[in-house]
Amino acid sequence: MSTQTFFSLNGEKSLNPIISARGLWKSFPGVVALKDVSLDVLPGEIHAILGENGAGKSTLLKILYGIYVPDKGDLFFGGRKVVVTSPQDAVRNGLVLVSQVPQLIDSLTVAENLSLSLSQFGYVSSVRKVSKFLLEKGREYGVRVDPDIEVWKLSYTQKQLVEVLRALLLNAKVIAFDEATTLLPHAEKEKLYDFMKLFKSKGGSVLLVTHKIPEAMEVSDRITVLRRGEVVGTVRTSETTLDQVRYMMFGERLTQLNSGKYEKLGEKGSEVLVVRDLWVRSDYGVYAVKGVSFSVRKGEILGIAGVAGNGQLELIQALAGLRKSERGSIRLRINGNEIDVTNKGSTAIRRLGIGYIPDEPVKKGVSLDNSIEENIAVHPRLTRFLIRWGDVKSLATDLVREFSIVTPSTNAKAKVLSGGNLMKVLVARELTVSKVALVAYNPTRGLDEVSTRYVRRLIVSKAVSEGMCVVVASEDLDEIMEISDVIAVMNSGSFVGVFKSGVSREEVERVMVS
Amino acid sequence: MRLIVVKRVKTSNLYYVGIPVLSILAGLALSTLIFASIGVPPDLFISEILAGFQSPQTLRYFALLVILGVALTMSFRASIWNIGAEGQMIWGMLAGGYIALFVAAQSMYVSPSDLPNYANVPGVEIIDASPVKPVISVLLMDPSLGKLLMVLFGMLAGGLWALIPAVLKAYLDIDEVASTLILNYVAYQLFNHLVSYNLRGLSVQARQFFRTDRMNSALLFNLIPGTSVTVQEVLMAVIFFVSVVLMYRYTAVGLRLKIIGSNPQLLRSVGVDERRYILLAMFLSGMLAGAAGVSILANPGIGKLEKIANVVSPPTMNLGYTAILVSWLSILDLRFVPIYAYIVASLFQGSSLLQSEINSLFPELSLTGAALTYIPIGSILVVYVILRIFTEYSVRIMR
Repeated sequence: MSTQTFFSLNGEKSLNPIISARGLWKSFPGVVALKDVSLDVLPGEIHAILGENGAGKSTLLKILYGIYVPDKGDLFFGGRKVVVTSPQDAVRNGLVLVSQVPQLIDSLTVAENLSLSLSQFGYVSSVRKVSKFLLEKGREYGVRVDPDIEVWKLSYTQKQLVEVLRALLLNAKVIAFDEATTLLPHAEKEKLYDFMKLFKSKGGSVLLVTHKIPEAMEVSDRITVLRRGEVVGTVRTSETTLDQVRYMMFGERLTQLNSGKYEKLGEKGSEVLVVRDLWVRSDYGVYAVKGVSFSVRKGEILGIAGVAGNGQLELIQALAGLRKSERGSIRLRINGNEIDVTNKGSTAIRRLGIGYIPDEPVKKGVSLDNSIEENIAVHPRLTRFLIRWGDVKSLATDLVREFSIVTPSTNAKAKVLSGGNLMKVLVARELTVSKVALVAYNPTRGLDEVSTRYVRRLIVSKAVSEGMCVVVASEDLDEIMEISDVIAVMNSGSFVGVFKSGVSREEVERVMVS
Repeated sequence: MRLIVVKRVKTSNLYYVGIPVLSILAGLALSTLIFASIGVPPDLFISEILAGFQSPQTLRYFALLVILGVALTMSFRASIWNIGAEGQMIWGMLAGGYIALFVAAQSMYVSPSDLPNYANVPGVEIIDASPVKPVISVLLMDPSLGKLLMVLFGMLAGGLWALIPAVLKAYLDIDEVASTLILNYVAYQLFNHLVSYNLRGLSVQARQFFRTDRMNSALLFNLIPGTSVTVQEVLMAVIFFVSVVLMYRYTAVGLRLKIIGSNPQLLRSVGVDERRYILLAMFLSGMLAGAAGVSILANPGIGKLEKIANVVSPPTMNLGYTAILVSWLSILDLRFVPIYAYIVASLFQGSSLLQSEINSLFPELSLTGAALTYIPIGSILVVYVILRIFTEYSVRIMR
C-alpha cells in the first residue's frame, strides 16, 4: 500500500485524491500488462504518466476509463469505491478522455457532434444550447472553435480542441490526454498546454499520458513513471531532473541511448535512385508533388523535411509505387542496369528490393490477427508462390533475436506484442527486404526514445554497411537533422531548399515555413 | 454486487467446440418444441432427424455442402460475405447445361420413320419418342471430355458471376452482402428467361413446359450404387477440400487471402494490390459454387433445367444458404467444414424425411413447401448467433 503523503500544490493543506487506483492487475495472453499499480490524481494538478511503449500506460488509462476491467484492484473516485465498466461510468464520475484520434463525425457540425456525444453519455441538450455553451466555455478558456462549422473543415489541432470542449461540456473534473499531443506541431502543443494550466487553475485536474519526457517535464506537476507494467515511482516535477526521470523510465537500458553519434560513410557511391520532374496528385486530385527532381547515392540518406501536408506523403507513396506519377520518372540503377520503375506497380518495385515503412506503421504495416511469421511471409520479396515455412521461421527467429523483439514465440499473434515491438517486427521485415533502397514516412512516430534511437540507428547502419539508399520524410525535424546526409525541405509540393548535413536547424526551419 | 459483461481478450478455446455443439443441441430442442406446437409428436421428430444421420441420401448433401462450405469459408475468411452462392450455382448449372445440351451433345428432330434406325447407334440417344416429332440427342465428343468441360465452364460461369459483386466491392466500395444477395434473385430470373427461350428444348415435354431437353445420359455423372451421390461429386469435394487447405497452408496466395480478412492495409503496404485479392477470393468462391451447381444438374435424378416456378424452391435446393450455416459452425476453420457439413446434411435430409412423414401421417396439417425443412436449420442458426456472443464476451460478478 502506498505510504505517500498527500500534499497540496496551491496551499499547504493536504488534499484527498480525486481519482485513486489501488493495486491494479491486468494480464493479457502471454503478458502481464499491469502489476500492482497504484496511482493518485489530486485536485488541481497536472499529473503525467510516463513510460515507454508497452510500459502499461494505455492499459492503465483504459481501466480508469472503463474500457478494460482490471483482474484485481480497486478504483476510488472522490474517495468512493466505484466499479467502472464503461466510459459512461467514468464520465459520470468526472473523468473524460481526449484521445489521439478525435472521435468526431466529419459531416456534422461541431455543435451537432457534441450534442450527440452528450446524449451518448446520458445528457440531453439541444444543438442550440450546446452552441451557446461552447461559445461561453470557449471564451472562458480561450478555445475558439466555431460551433456551426462542419468537422471535416477543421484542422487536426482544432479537432483536438473540440474534444477538449466536449470534456468541459461533460463537466469533467479530470481530463485525461492519451498521447493527444504526439501528433501536434510544436506551436499547437503550446495552446493545449496553456489550456491545461488554465483548467488546473480553475480547480480541474489533468492526467497526461505520454512517452515524451520533455513534455512531462514542461507541463506537469507530478510524474508517475511506469516500466514493464509496474510503477517505478511518483515524483514532483519541480524536485526532479530530466536525467532522473529518464533513468526511472529506462533503467539500465539508458546506456543504449547514450552511445554517441552514428557511424557515417565519408564517400558515397554512385547514384541509385534518380527522380526527374515528378508530378503526383493527392487524394483530392490536385498536384501535391510539383516537379520534384533529386537523386540519392548508394549509402546516402535523403531526409525530406517540411510541415505536414506539403506533398511529402504523396512523394513517398509514389516512390513506393502506391501512388500514380502523372509526369516525370523514377529510375533505379542496380548493378549497372538502369530500370525505369515509374508506375511499374508496387509488387514489382518491392521485389526489386525496395523497403517501405508506411505512415501509421502499426495500423498499416502489420496485421494483428496474424502471427509474426505470417507478417513476415506476406512480403512479395520474401515469398513467391510457395511459402517455405521452415525458412520463414528461421528468418523470423533471427530477426526476433537481432532486434530483441519481446514475444512468446515467432508463431504468436502480433496482437500480443506491444506497440514498440510491433514496430520492430515491421522495421525488421522492411530492412530485410531493402536491398537497394528504403523509403519511409515518419518511421519512428509513436515510438519511445529507446526504440526511436534503435530504429534510426538500424536505418543508418544498414545504409552504411550495405550501401542501401534511403529516402525518409518526417514531420519530426530532429529526426531528419539527426540521420540525413542531405536534407531537402518540401513546401507546397516542391523542394524549396536542399542542404548538406551540418546545416543549422534555424536555416532549415526558415525555409520550411517561408 | 453487479453483473457485468466484459469483452474477452482472447476467444475461449472451449467455445470453439462447445458453442457449435451446444447450438445444434439447443436448436434441435427448440425445433422439437416448434413442431410439437403444431401437432407433430416429438418422438417422430427425433426419430426422423436421427434417420437423417444414417440415410444414404445424406451423402449427396454432404458432398455438396463440403464443396459449398469450402467455397464460402474462403470468402468469409477474407471478410467478404458471399451470400451469393445460390446465384453462382445457378450460373454453374446454366453453363454446364449449355455445354451438355449444345456443345458436348446436340438434340435434333428426326423423322418418325427413321427413329428405329437410331435405337442402337452408339452416342445417340432417343430423348423423345413422340410419334409426331421424335427427338434424339447426338453425342458430339467423348463423354468424359464433355463432363470435364461442363465442370470447367460451370466453374468459370460461377466465378464470373461472383466477380460482379467483387468488382463493385473492390473498386466502388459497394457492400457485398446486399449485392450478392440481390444477384441471387437476378440469377433466378435470368435462369428462367434462358431456360424458357434460349436453352429451351425440342421435345414435347420441353415445349409444353418451360424447360430444356433431357441431357444425353452419357453426360450424366455416375451414381454410387445405393445412394443418390455421384462419383464425380465426391471426387470434387475431396479435391477442392484438399487443394484449398494446401493453398492456405503453403502458398503466398493463401496467406494473402487470409490476411486480407484481418488487415487489408498490410497487403497494400507491402506492395500487394489488395483489390485483386478481393476479386480472387470471390472468383474462387464462385468457381466452387459453380461446380456444385454442375453436379446438381448432372445428377441422374435431375439431368435437365426447368423454369423455377417459385423462388422458394429453386433447383439449388437453397444449399447456397444452408452452406452459410456450415461455414459459421466451423468458425471459418476449413478443417471443421467436413464435420459440420455432415451434421447439417443429416439435418437437411432428416427434415426432408420428416416432411414426407408428416404429409402422409397428418395430411390434415397440410404443411407444404420448403419451410418445414428449414425449421431445424434456422433454429440452430439463431441459437448459434446468440451463443456466439459468449465467445467474444464473458459475464462476471463484481462486488
